[in-house]
Amino acid sequence: MNMMAPLTTAETQLTRTEVAGLVALAARSVPPLWPLESAIAVNPLAGFEDLPFAEAVHRAARRFGARESLPLTAWRGLLATGRIDPKALRDAAIRELGGIYAAEAQVAPGITALDLLMARLVDLPASGPEPEQDSTTADVAFLAKWCAAFFDQSQAASPMPHRDLGLYRAVLALAGHDPDYARLTGALGAQLLLTVSRDPLTAIAEGLSALGVSEGDEVDHLADLVARLPGWAGHIRWRGEHTDPANVSGAPAGMADLIALWLLIERAGALAPRTVPQATAHVGAARLAAHFGLETAAVDAALAAAHGAFGRIAALTEGALGALFMTAAEWSYRNQLVPRLEAAALEREAAAHQTAGAGPDAQLVFCIDVRSEPFRRALEAQGAYQTLGYAGFFGLPIALHRHGEERRKRFLPVLLAPQHDVAEAPVAGREDEAASLSAELAREQHTAALFGAAKQGTATAFATAEATGPLAGLLMAARTIGPRVLERVTRSLTPDRASALAPALDCCPTDGQRPAFTLDEKIGYASALFRLTGLTPQTARLVVLAGHGGSAVNNPYAAALDCGACGGHKGGANARILVAMLNDPAVRAGMAAHGLALPETTVFLAAEHDTTTDVVTIFDRDQVPASHAADLAALETSLARAGAVNRAHRAGLLGRSAEDLLTGAVHWGEVRPEWGLAGNAAFLVGPRDWTAGLDLEGRTFLHSYDWRADEDATALTTILTAPMVVAQWINCQYLFSTIDNSRYGSGDKVTQNVLGGIGVIQGNGGDLRIGLPRQSLFTDAGDPYHVPQRLLTVVLAPLARVEAVIQANEILGRLFGNGWVQLVVIDPETGRTRCWRPAGDPAAEGSTLH
Amino acid sequence: MSQNVFARLQLHRLRKIEIVVHAEDHSAVEELLKTAGVGGWTMIRDVAGMGHGGFHQGRTIFNDHTGLVMFVGVAEAAVISEVAIGLSRLFESRPGVTFLSDVEVMRSDYFASSTSTAA
Repeated sequence: MNMMAPLTTAETQLTRTEVAGLVALAARSVPPLWPLESAIAVNPLAGFEDLPFAEAVHRAARRFGARESLPLTAWRGLLATGRIDPKALRDAAIRELGGIYAAEAQVAPGITALDLLMARLVDLPASGPEPEQDSTTADVAFLAKWCAAFFDQSQAASPMPHRDLGLYRAVLALAGHDPDYARLTGALGAQLLLTVSRDPLTAIAEGLSALGVSEGDEVDHLADLVARLPGWAGHIRWRGEHTDPANVSGAPAGMADLIALWLLIERAGALAPRTVPQATAHVGAARLAAHFGLETAAVDAALAAAHGAFGRIAALTEGALGALFMTAAEWSYRNQLVPRLEAAALEREAAAHQTAGAGPDAQLVFCIDVRSEPFRRALEAQGAYQTLGYAGFFGLPIALHRHGEERRKRFLPVLLAPQHDVAEAPVAGREDEAASLSAELAREQHTAALFGAAKQGTATAFATAEATGPLAGLLMAARTIGPRVLERVTRSLTPDRASALAPALDCCPTDGQRPAFTLDEKIGYASALFRLTGLTPQTARLVVLAGHGGSAVNNPYAAALDCGACGGHKGGANARILVAMLNDPAVRAGMAAHGLALPETTVFLAAEHDTTTDVVTIFDRDQVPASHAADLAALETSLARAGAVNRAHRAGLLGRSAEDLLTGAVHWGEVRPEWGLAGNAAFLVGPRDWTAGLDLEGRTFLHSYDWRADEDATALTTILTAPMVVAQWINCQYLFSTIDNSRYGSGDKVTQNVLGGIGVIQGNGGDLRIGLPRQSLFTDAGDPYHVPQRLLTVVLAPLARVEAVIQANEILGRLFGNGWVQLVVIDPETGRTRCWRPAGDPAAEGSTLH
Repeated sequence: MSQNVFARLQLHRLRKIEIVVHAEDHSAVEELLKTAGVGGWTMIRDVAGMGHGGFHQGRTIFNDHTGLVMFVGVAEAAVISEVAIGLSRLFESRPGVTFLSDVEVMRSDYFASSTSTAA
């Protein structure tokens, strides 16, 4: 007899497909979270991009319990150190007040509205930084614990049973034996466990009905639940949308599973109260009046004034004041960058009529990544080198099956699905090295498996620790005292992987799902390099495609230093594949038939720029013909010199020596091997000779583009709808991770723990952390190194063409129209510069560019 | 083809649903189709056309998540109605259009519903 009848009578009002629709909408409140091995930047507010930026920030802050801006004290610090122009801040204040007349209007004897607002921005006491709040309530801890067990990637000695049933049903099957569940939900939870539907969609329908959630409120209710565990919810989205289904079929889980579990807890009355968003601190009118020494009568008169400026300014929250500071930071940057770009555009037009000199000694194509710009500048200073910027995956939608690895990995932007499976194969003439490498990899895997089994075995755990402890201690000492020596020794004992193995273009991996390349496809990918960058077919004797990656040891965020366009992997493999295509005579012939006849003397080379050490590795050097050996030698000398220059420059930014950077790249205790993409601020679309004379301070993504070679705007459309979107994701990740490192970032690295290969947690439990760690954004003193500001895109192209591209692509209308990206167009035909004004934005006044 | 030959054809009446959504919503629609029990469907990428929001360009080269996609599914009337009900919730806040129509198919076994995941 069922004694729990009252709990089972919850009337199901929604159908399963209705619930599926609601779940899909609720899931949009969090973005997918990529695992550590392929960590890539994502805008944590991606689900809010349909809204104007300010409204999105406000709504997301309420949903996630996050701050809306940096603390006022931090902004004032940036103002004091000159990183924000006081004039830009004043202009932002004037615009906030409704224009210069309203700003200069007297609100009290001798005091203008602008005086009041500037006092609030700069002078009046601000609330200090909020203490870190632990968001791990008992309900979060319970679900996070089971998520960690369910999504375990073969790290646990005893895997969670029933995973084949799916997350929801597996947890239901075990929760009854979990004392945490009993403590959390009590008798009601135990009853619900017996009666709740085993189908997550039906359970959600039951839950919404039982809780009395009104029609129309369901999505917000479910989205609030999803936002309670944004890390695990993001992991579920990644599994569902961005990984091969076969990889996750053993443990199926959808957002409905997670939501159904949340509703179970909510129905049991065990849901913790919502985290209250940051205190909306504002000063009272009396305090503002006291600052100006106003008497009561004057304050009363000011408050009674029709326009109400006094009261409105007093009531502004610190979040709203922070938004003004961010606008000022954006204008400060724009006002110093755009005039220089305008002048450079004019100079370029004037120089266009002059006779071209000799061609470059070599051309090098780098990723658009902001870290490429200072290196390119340093290299260009070494000789007659022309550099270009292109998406770092070099236009190849591939999944690569690396030798010795179980699964293929996606070496392409997450905006794309792989079209080709590529496997590594031994390089011709290096079969012995490849075999030796295979044996070494197999030995490593067996040793690791044996060690893992011995370490976790009941009978062998202590003996293993005893036996291997001294060796581990020696290794630890070597890693600490002489990491570079140890790295050199290790490298000398194993064959060089890049020399022995290379991606093979013409054979599909045995387990491949997608075909290898046809000749037409090779011609298409090779031609795209020219069409999208404006590279002309009069190529130099050497053309180098340089991917990039970082170097870090014992660093869960190592992949975040690699190429985002390559799915969080190093970009050398993509460069090698496109180079192989470009050196293929059949491809050259096909390109020539399409009007891209390259000189026979041109040799393409693949390389990889290490952004931590500034060392550039050239791949497949032995395939370079003897006729080009001298060219290559000269180039390598220049690359080494440019690397030294850039390393010294970057070391200064990190407050270290250049040698110390090399040590940090191999030191297991290094928490900040490089600044990564911190400081990113702009995305420039135009030819390199437009920007080559400018020091862009490593803050700009540079995509090469020649508007004259793009009559139908296909290239511009591609650049703005793909590389720029990736840049915007990166920009937003840095922005939000900085303004609230605890909610949108992953907090302090020192207290993080790595959870399998999935992500990191703070301490020993709680949600998976999203975003970037504190050390990637702040100095050791706690000051923001990265100034949170939205991406500024500057395009050198006719205004009408840019407008047409924006109107034809909804994503661009959304990003520019809602103020997620700021757009400036410099028209080379008219010489006029125009800023794209987001919908509803008033015009700027004062000295700010508009 | 003579009328006699046409009359010999064994046709089965089913319902068809066509759904046009933004490419970024394709996962949500696939989930709805699966949940309703539609056994299979066709997805057409790079759909371009004129709507009340202006002209929608097809997909661009490096971004699968821009532009529009179109789903075409055929199944029993009750199954297609379930999809439509789910879509009505999705369309409360996401853009998209759907068309329902009666169709006749030759091989009805091709359009059998998948097993429901409901317990």
